Amino acid sequence: MLEYAEPVTKLIDEFKRLPGIGSKSAQRLAFHIMRLPEADVERLIDALQEVKRKIRLCSECNNLTDVDPCRFCSSPTRDRSIICVVEEPYNLVAIEKTRSYRGLYHVLHGSLSPVRGIGPEMLRLDNLLARLKPENNQGVKVKEVILATNPTTEGEATAIYLSHLLKPLGVRTTRIAMGMPVGSDLEYVDEVTMDKALANRHEI
Amino acid sequence: MLLESLEVHQFRNLSGKVFWHSNLNIIYGDNGQGKTNWLEAIYLLATSKSFRTSRPQETIRFGANLAFVRGRVRQSEAVSRDLQVTLQGNSKLLFVNGKKEQTSAYLGQLQVIAFTADELEVVRGAPEARRRFLDRGVLALHHAYIQTLADYNQVLRQKNRLLQEVAEGRLAVERARELLLPWNEQLAELGTEIHCARIDYVKRLNAVFEKKLFGREEVTIRYLSSLEGKGDLSDYRLLLTERLNLRLPAEIAAGCALVGPHRDDLEILFDGRDIRAYGSAGQQRSALILLDLAALSVYHSWCGEYPLFLIDDIDAELDRKRIGHLLEYLEGRTQTFITTSKADLIRGYSSDQQVALYEVKEGLIVPSSSEGVRAASQMEGVFRSLS
Repeated sequence: MLEYAEPVTKLIDEFKRLPGIGSKSAQRLAFHIMRLPEADVERLIDALQEVKRKIRLCSECNNLTDVDPCRFCSSPTRDRSIICVVEEPYNLVAIEKTRSYRGLYHVLHGSLSPVRGIGPEMLRLDNLLARLKPENNQGVKVKEVILATNPTTEGEATAIYLSHLLKPLGVRTTRIAMGMPVGSDLEYVDEVTMDKALANRHEI
Repeated sequence: MLLESLEVHQFRNLSGKVFWHSNLNIIYGDNGQGKTNWLEAIYLLATSKSFRTSRPQETIRFGANLAFVRGRVRQSEAVSRDLQVTLQGNSKLLFVNGKKEQTSAYLGQLQVIAFTADELEVVRGAPEARRRFLDRGVLALHHAYIQTLADYNQVLRQKNRLLQEVAEGRLAVERARELLLPWNEQLAELGTEIHCARIDYVKRLNAVFEKKLFGREEVTIRYLSSLEGKGDLSDYRLLLTERLNLRLPAEIAAGCALVGPHRDDLEILFDGRDIRAYGSAGQQRSALILLDLAALSVYHSWCGEYPLFLIDDIDAELDRKRIGHLLEYLEGRTQTFITTSKADLIRGYSSDQQVALYEVKEGLIVPSSSEGVRAASQMEGVFRSLS
């Protein structure tokens, strides 16, 4: 016999499908929903539906957007000659927070991983190559592509694969540096990062 | 570093608290009483792992839901720390001075080198055991090496999957060449790091290797790269890259990665002959002890102190003379823990040494013999003078 009434069990099961939500959290969320006023629940449902209805991928950079092209790709103040390639939309957000990067982005939605069955054809690469042509980039020639995939073996493989595609096209291809987080104490840095930073030290 | 005491709760058949001698500890008793379990408990305290099983929950006493080992470790004259490993269900909790710590912060507080039945694979088994021996040694000196190893293995897994797909006809050869490129580039980079780290470690081992500790036979070791004889090893990265390109058709045919330091070996020769094929059981044990002693020395010359040395079943295939040489060599260097089922054999040699004897009966340590009592009181004296 079910511990809870069927609709409650159904809701708990749905929450449990979500990433990072275990049985206890799912139960807590379900009970929270049951206590909410009807209007709050409606608002939540609207938000869920709206995100499904309105959000799609930008046809130029594959970022999540409600307008196409997205706000970055259509902005007149961004430098169209630089493209920064990231794995996921939230990586883009991390770079955007610096406020120092003024170029465009390209989101791959993944990284190469034969073990997980992810090959280049499953990454969003086609429109990246297309963007390198000035006629597809509002007449601007792309001078540099920054590869900002994650510092994992999969991210590295993706960067290497892309560099082999891009370099023959004559576009400058760079990889983000790895090392110490700035503004924090040395004592908080893990051994592996510290080791990399020591190995990549430079003359001052 | 010095393990002053060890308290064990529901770990295998052990219980109780033991104060250890700073020099030599001899744990003796009949078979099946739990001698090795005491070494395993020390090993667990140091590494948070068991040398017998990869599933720590197996070590929790049957019917109990939790086990712990807790030890007091003297780091220097004025600094002691309480370390604790608690096993509960599938989880493992680590504590330093009663406060929970991350694995990375916990490890390294207590270093051990263990001579056990499983470690005999180094001199008897496949090259993998010898590569693990070297990697363990490198890791003790260079903690970030763990990431290099993990990355290398991950790259190998990815590469092997691609090669498998070609073998199964799901991926065209030409396409595979292109897809393998990013993995081979990383393999060359990480493989070179591993090769250099191991070469350097073997050089250090050789510098302190006591070739003739056990008599006139000479034990020699040499790192045996799988690329030996294939070109100029001094520019390993270039050679590895060349070989990766050259052997690609063979790898595609085989369906797995054939080139890299995961195919390397440590050559161990006993009077010029391969110990694995030609060594007697006793010679193999002797050679492994020499390797462990060298590892102890290398750690000492790098960090300024000796790890603990655990020797399980010391008298199996090691004669009285060799045991005598070994204990003489260790005196004043390491804090040593040995187990034996023949206490008499040890006693003859150790009566004039700094030593404590512990008899194990059904998991409990009992000071039953007169020697044991004498050793225990001697030991208390040592600890009084320490504290």
